[in-house]
Amino acid sequence: MTIRVLPPEVANKIAAGEVVERPASVVKELVENALDAGATDIRVEIRDGGRRFVRVTDNGQGIPAAEVETAFAHHATSKVQQADDLFHVQTLGFRGEALPSIAAVSHVTLITRPAEEEAGSYLRIEGGHTLSRRPQGAPVGTTISVENLFFNMPARRKFLRSAATEAAWIATLVSSYALAYPECRFTLHNDGRRALQSPGSGALYDALVAVYGTDVATKMLALPADDDAPVQVSGYAGIPSLHRANRKYITFFVNRRWVRTPMLSAAVMQAYRSIVPTGRFPITVLNIRIDPTELDVNVHPAKTEVKFRDSNAIFRLVERKVRRLLVDEAPVASAQRLVTETGGAASVPPAAPESWSGRQGLLALEAQRTAGEPAQADSVPLIDERQPRRLPVLRVLGQVHQTYIIAEGPDGLYLIDQHTAHERVLLERLRAQRARMAVPSQSLLEPATVELTPEQQAVAEEQSETLALLGFALEHFGGNTWLVRTIPEVLRGKELAPALAEILDNARRDRSELSWEERLLMYAACRGAVKAGDPLSLDEMRALIRQLEETDMSRTCAHGRPTVIRLSQAQLEREFGRR
Amino acid sequence: MRVSCLQENLAKGVAIVGRAVASRSTLPVLENIYVGTDDGRLKLAATNLEIGITCWIGAQVEEEGEISVPARVVTDLVNSSPPERIDMALNVRTQTLQIHCAQFQAQLKGIDASDFPIIPTAEQDKAIHVAPDTLREMISQVTFAAATDETRPILTGVLTEFEGASLTMASADGFRISVRKAPLPEEVPESFRVIIPARALQEVARIMGDQEDPVEILVTQKRNQVLFHMQNIDLVSQLIEGNFPDYRQILPSSHVTRTVVDTGEFLRAIRRARIFARDAANMVRLQISGESTEGPARVRIVAEAAELGDNVEEIGASVEGEDIEIAFNVRYLIDVLGVLNSAQTIIETTDATSRGVILPASNDDFTHVIMPMHIGQRG
Repeated sequence: MTIRVLPPEVANKIAAGEVVERPASVVKELVENALDAGATDIRVEIRDGGRRFVRVTDNGQGIPAAEVETAFAHHATSKVQQADDLFHVQTLGFRGEALPSIAAVSHVTLITRPAEEEAGSYLRIEGGHTLSRRPQGAPVGTTISVENLFFNMPARRKFLRSAATEAAWIATLVSSYALAYPECRFTLHNDGRRALQSPGSGALYDALVAVYGTDVATKMLALPADDDAPVQVSGYAGIPSLHRANRKYITFFVNRRWVRTPMLSAAVMQAYRSIVPTGRFPITVLNIRIDPTELDVNVHPAKTEVKFRDSNAIFRLVERKVRRLLVDEAPVASAQRLVTETGGAASVPPAAPESWSGRQGLLALEAQRTAGEPAQADSVPLIDERQPRRLPVLRVLGQVHQTYIIAEGPDGLYLIDQHTAHERVLLERLRAQRARMAVPSQSLLEPATVELTPEQQAVAEEQSETLALLGFALEHFGGNTWLVRTIPEVLRGKELAPALAEILDNARRDRSELSWEERLLMYAACRGAVKAGDPLSLDEMRALIRQLEETDMSRTCAHGRPTVIRLSQAQLEREFGRR
Repeated sequence: MRVSCLQENLAKGVAIVGRAVASRSTLPVLENIYVGTDDGRLKLAATNLEIGITCWIGAQVEEEGEISVPARVVTDLVNSSPPERIDMALNVRTQTLQIHCAQFQAQLKGIDASDFPIIPTAEQDKAIHVAPDTLREMISQVTFAAATDETRPILTGVLTEFEGASLTMASADGFRISVRKAPLPEEVPESFRVIIPARALQEVARIMGDQEDPVEILVTQKRNQVLFHMQNIDLVSQLIEGNFPDYRQILPSSHVTRTVVDTGEFLRAIRRARIFARDAANMVRLQISGESTEGPARVRIVAEAAELGDNVEEIGASVEGEDIEIAFNVRYLIDVLGVLNSAQTIIETTDATSRGVILPASNDDFTHVIMPMHIGQRG
């Protein structure tokens, strides 16, 4: 075999394979080009999931007639002049690979006109070969149609998913850009139907409404940017009761570039740890503004990955900001349904907006202020002196089904799940004690013997140090038998063997991204807490409520189920027909 | 049945047996009190099948008979009656008890006395006699350390050993153990041990009142029931079957530090420490140091609650051995100090992770062991 330089067609196809994976990649490259060209109105039309047809129309600056063909040459770009520029890239694209790569594997039609030229240009390229070029009248801006993607790469073509899946990818992508560029109007037409339209008003809140709907948007909390911080995190984060089955709703922009970086998702999950139920994911839209020199976007041709110079610091910053926002702002879950006298569940028309009606306007207002002028989006001052949101002082009225505590507050009736409430109190206490390396444990008069399954034993062995820190002194005795010498104080009075087995099992099965220590702490708190069905005296209930009032994040239990449900005065009055 | 008695006596009797009435039983008759004539007296009885209490009160019996009536109703009725004579008459055909006192007359629907479980009574001759004061003190010194949860049923009982001329009671809940010995007025013919539910013993102490005659203790031949015979009162309890942990092995045989403190002063300091400790897992730390250049021997009692603050108190002590810091559950200390019956308390310790022993200084018949608490890693 002799070594030969690949013919240009082959090389182009290989390069194209990196940039253009699927119709969504085409849309991404074209939309980014449009944004770099300063467009404020971008229309995306697709047919057959973009497999057959993609057209992106913008009102950007257009391409001068003299440069039209150069645009399709490899590494031809107007965005970077010299190598040094790569370290402070301000535009979305810069590699000069997108257009030629797309052109190599499809039939491309380009119609463009810059504002300063009288006539526009028409260019037709098929499989990288220019077929026709002529002047043509056109509006200002650029329209690129990409047809028959991968017509010359049957292998790639086979790997495309169904039209619906590919269309969903494109919708996600366009939605993301609509959120990143609220000042730009995005329209997506799928097989002739309008799938999405953002108003381009410049307000992120409006873009949220367009993308996720009013329901979701009203349940998002605004995170304003810090004025003088070198790295700024801003955007919206969903309230704890808003969660989805996958992490597709965790959206990140770095300097307004849409990125998918596992590190950032992990930071958000960490912030929502034990606030959303296990296995569920929050909805967030966050923009990180950072000095471009602290960042490397040139990791992969698709540029959806970025590398931070100090990724640990970014992780901590994101986690802290989101966590703080949730602690300060998260409202008490309000009752969605009321049980009527007939026993059926009558839905109270939007209960959430009731408690939010005052807030919604505020949110919209804030959003406008934060995102109104994107250039200074991050310079809007923080709302000062925000009090951390905690439970108001409650008066205990009684216990229902030996499971829920009823209490009266200044703004309505509160129902509190005694187990989750106690669990939350214990977890907070354990965490605080753990932070001070001071989890109290109690020695047993005689070591207790417990039988553990092989899986449980594996955890007990691997995590013996963590368990010891939490107060479990375990020792292998032989066979399946283990000796327990000390137990965490919270478990005093609980049946030891089943408690230990459950803690080890649950921590093992837990699929969350929490550390072993967090998981073990969480399940120890769960096991130590009073159970549903335990009768509580009035004094015990008062003590529990008092402790809950002092707890941060008092609204959800460690597994993310709600702890407190509020029935507002207004809801009660409405239900009883007083209003 | 036709009986007359004084309201005062009936109220007292009903209150005594009422402690054994079952609440929310599936067997309705267990929520009743047995009322019947017995050898010229009125006999009252109640049982929840775990313990049964029988009580006799003076009465004027005109016609024999027996019935069981709802405990709650008869208790409320008698308690609200004026302190006068109460006449009771039973209509056998309708099983209705007519109660007449001063101006009121009540009809109580009852359940046939033959449905009421038989509660064994004493066979006087084989009984072991114990002085009432001794028994009362023993019960108070051990029952509090018995477990209250049912996870290990055996630990909800008190090991009671009759051996030669001595009686020993021991109880443990997994974190502490209490052992009390007392001499018996006469040797038992045959040594034996039984496990009596702590709750039954607590009832014995409560209904014993100011009895002066020795309490007679009797164990049935099958070793499944114990009977306490007091003046006009019998209490029968089921025994717990099983093997009680060998407490002698648990009692430490040596110590490194021996500290003597004033019981009252120590207890008051511990109670103050509790104000803070109860928000910090009930943990209180004892820093014991012998006489040194820094000052005389002392015990520093430290309770810290992260969010609340802390309390430090120093009390004088006499310390033999090495300085030590050890932490205990504050409730356990309060429990034992409250029943010590000694002006001075001895605390014997080995190291921060080993058992602490609390003893009365005035005598050697009581031993209490508490397991320490730790924070963070062991050691």
